[in-house]
Amino acid sequence: MSPESQAQEPRAKAAGAKIIRYHGVIKRYGEFQALAGVDLDVHAGEVVCLIGPSGSGKSTLLRCTNGLESIQGGDIEFEGAALPREERDLRAVRTRMGMVFQSFELFPHLTALANVAEGPRTVLGKDQADANRRASAMLAKVGLADKAPNYPSALSGGQQQRVAIARALAMEPDVMLFDEPTSALDPETIGEVLNVMKQLADEGMTMVVVTHEMTFARRVGDWIAVFDSGRIVEQGPPAQIFDAPTTERTRDFLSHLGWTG
Amino acid sequence: MTFDWSVVWQHRDALIAATGTTILLTLATMAIAVPCGIVVAALRLYAWAPVRAIATAYVELFRNLPLILVVYWAFYVLPIMTGLGLSPLATGLAALVLNVTAYNAETFRAGINSIRRGQVEAAMALGMSRMQALRRVVLPQALRRILPVLASTWVSLFKDTSLVSVIAVSELAYVAMQIRAQTFRVLEMLTAMAAIYWLLGYPQAKLVDWMQRRFAVTE
Repeated sequence: MSPESQAQEPRAKAAGAKIIRYHGVIKRYGEFQALAGVDLDVHAGEVVCLIGPSGSGKSTLLRCTNGLESIQGGDIEFEGAALPREERDLRAVRTRMGMVFQSFELFPHLTALANVAEGPRTVLGKDQADANRRASAMLAKVGLADKAPNYPSALSGGQQQRVAIARALAMEPDVMLFDEPTSALDPETIGEVLNVMKQLADEGMTMVVVTHEMTFARRVGDWIAVFDSGRIVEQGPPAQIFDAPTTERTRDFLSHLGWTG
Repeated sequence: MTFDWSVVWQHRDALIAATGTTILLTLATMAIAVPCGIVVAALRLYAWAPVRAIATAYVELFRNLPLILVVYWAFYVLPIMTGLGLSPLATGLAALVLNVTAYNAETFRAGINSIRRGQVEAAMALGMSRMQALRRVVLPQALRRILPVLASTWVSLFKDTSLVSVIAVSELAYVAMQIRAQTFRVLEMLTAMAAIYWLLGYPQAKLVDWMQRRFAVTE
């Protein structure tokens, strides 16, 4: 296939309902404009990867998605409704979006099992037995059933991040948001986290992933958005972005990473 | 110079009762000043600005006044202001609570501030409210971190309860001084008093050290 025909390749999962719509999203920190008008759609079952240099606004967009940061312009729609501004309504939305952080942010005073059970217990009001049952199932899903009684300090980075993924999954979210989930990991444990994410993607989970793992974005991503200076400079299917980028900025970024296709 | 240690034994019942009052005063002060300290710290951190200013003013006032002055103030001024005729024990307790709450509030505030912002974000991303995040995630971690500080406050408080003797609360210092005044056995009574304070204080300090190791959280 020629690059041109790839660039016009239809969006594979565009048939799915739009779960998240970003429209002209603007985020300012004082004078600094972190997001300068971002438009992006995320369809049901899609894995959308946000790539680009550090400080280009990818993580900021993710943090605006569940209202950890407020936006100053444009709008974000989640499942057909604008993201609420009222804290109470925002909490209801957050229960349907799982989030995984670069630095894991497991609760160090709780065991792996209690970490995963915390959301169902405190937020969804499940009783202890019910929450623990669900937590056990989620730990098994990320391959850490045997680590249930361990505290986070006794787990490797990769294991901690998998527990963090289980913690988010225990809320049975409609979307998973990943904020550079492997950036703080030792190289040898990155693979186990990416495998869990791949498995989730294969099960049809809708995912928005901020990542520097180009191989993952290429193999697992359905749609790639390239960020620079608070804007999306190019978006398209991985074949277009990685094999036939249409903008100079994308080519620059990929060549800086040593990406050779 | 001759010593007559029998005076201590003769007054053992009074001394034991007084020691009981000292322990009770310490326990009651901490039992009130820990929850109040958490509330004041939470007000300083999260409340509406004017409320925050009041909480800050309270902390800065009582942290920087000599405790003995607060004790006198509670004894002479509190009844006039409130019209309540409090017993010396209740007055002494009030003074200690005012003082220790201010210290505890600062301890809790420092503890809460020492917990990474990402922890609250992780809790909120699960859908928790700020209060839930504070109660379920921040406070349990902060409490473990500040346990040594609370412990040294406790040990200081145990000794500082002696200051309420100036308003005739019949705790250990006051009773020992009374016996001294009646018997003129100065050295014996002061030594006995020192021995009781130390023997009770030391194990408390050790117990707290143990708790600190037992509940340590590693990240």
